[in-house]
Amino acid sequence: MSFVSLIGVELKKIRRSKILLILLIPVIMMWIPGIINADMNFDLRGIPITPENNFFIQGFMGMVWFMIPASLVICTVLLNQTERADNGILKMLSLPVSTTRLCLAKFTVLLMLAAVQMILSIGAYYICAAIAANTQNYNFVLEPLYVCKIVCGLYAAAIPMAAVYWAISTVIPSPIFSVGIGLASIVPSVLMINTKIWFVYPMSYPFYLLMVAYGRAAEGVYETQIAWLTWLPAAVGITILALVISCIRFGASERRSKQ
Amino acid sequence: MSLVIESKKLRRTGYFPAFLSGSFLAAAFPVVYMMVKAEELTSLSGNPLELLMSANWQMMAMLNILISICGACMMYHTEYADNGMQKMSVLPIRQENLFFSKFVIAALVLSAMVAIETAVLAGCAEYWFPGYVSDLTEILQTAGFQIVVTLPTVMLMLVIASACKNMWVSLGIGVILVFTLSIFPQDNTALSLFPFASPCQTLSGAAANSRTALFLTVCGIETVVFGIGEVLYLKVRRCLA
Repeated sequence: MSFVSLIGVELKKIRRSKILLILLIPVIMMWIPGIINADMNFDLRGIPITPENNFFIQGFMGMVWFMIPASLVICTVLLNQTERADNGILKMLSLPVSTTRLCLAKFTVLLMLAAVQMILSIGAYYICAAIAANTQNYNFVLEPLYVCKIVCGLYAAAIPMAAVYWAISTVIPSPIFSVGIGLASIVPSVLMINTKIWFVYPMSYPFYLLMVAYGRAAEGVYETQIAWLTWLPAAVGITILALVISCIRFGASERRSKQ
Repeated sequence: MSLVIESKKLRRTGYFPAFLSGSFLAAAFPVVYMMVKAEELTSLSGNPLELLMSANWQMMAMLNILISICGACMMYHTEYADNGMQKMSVLPIRQENLFFSKFVIAALVLSAMVAIETAVLAGCAEYWFPGYVSDLTEILQTAGFQIVVTLPTVMLMLVIASACKNMWVSLGIGVILVFTLSIFPQDNTALSLFPFASPCQTLSGAAANSRTALFLTVCGIETVVFGIGEVLYLKVRRCLA
């Protein structure tokens, strides 16, 4: 089977899972406080930032800190558990399909789901910015090129994290540990972002990028330059390592338990 | 009897080790915090335990909530994954008993978790603050308050997990609720009484606004109401099935 048709098969498996609804609700939720407290965007507390930038960054703050990692964890549960029910994964593993390609196809679906959430969040941003602009008589809408650039950056920064979560869920068959580690790893990212070794912690990458965007929009809040030289090798290394581990371990626990 | 059965079901899932490691992880927060910036807190005046709670409890409570969500999903995942629920429903056991024994286990595990965390907080206070002698009643009061304000979250999460057949749906709903309540302003009293937000309250914070009794009663009522809700839900589901 070609890689593209494998991805097609994986997408068919999750067709009835209601995952799009689960991805959509938080994207809408994150803008509700923004709309209710839209007038707060003019109260800048001495931070030199324009109200429209403030609205955009405050809205995305909760998303990058909590919801992107949490959605990825939920999607890994979905991709694993749809197959574990009724031993679907055993049937897949008995087919003449390379497990590495199967594993990579599932990872691609994970990235596609994350991409869908990012596109939804851009859409929700424009709708909510338009609503806030109407209620406050102030133009909150930023130009599309800037918004898309930031969101694409956040998405790219989430890829190493997705690879790590995928590796955790393939290595640890017990869902409580894979989900527990995934959710627990979200909490320290707020602390890690303020240390010098943030680049070894993939869960803080999107948060870091948004903080840099915040620092550029408001002078002196955070760094304005991305530390590419330390970050890029670490991110690429972590991604490749996680993918290699997940490809090697994919299906290992199923094969062992049925022997 | 049913408590024993329920805990046997959980034996191979890693439920208890997960809670144990979660509580050690949460307990590591104040220790690491004090190792890195002890002077910031020791220079302040006030009750050391309260200072430590206000510096660390937000994150510790977040971990407690997230582990409770995982645990609730896991409890019902074991039932639904291999159609265990159908087999349980043909046995001469009431469905409500099944739910409430799950709740008792979840509440006991949560209490153990909070107890470990408060013990470590008190230990930190004693180690880093010279002249502080830990007071057992104070520690017990703190732990008791934190357990009671977390119970509605545990109960509601079990109700959600019992209603959803697929683990990712119940996990998704739980995570969305945590997210929603964490982005709304925290200083609103009405919002902080909601499950998923109330565990972040600290005893000293509630006592400063003389809201301790309010929190304890509202959270107690919420827990009972969600329990009754589950009983009604089970009755409706049985009629419709």
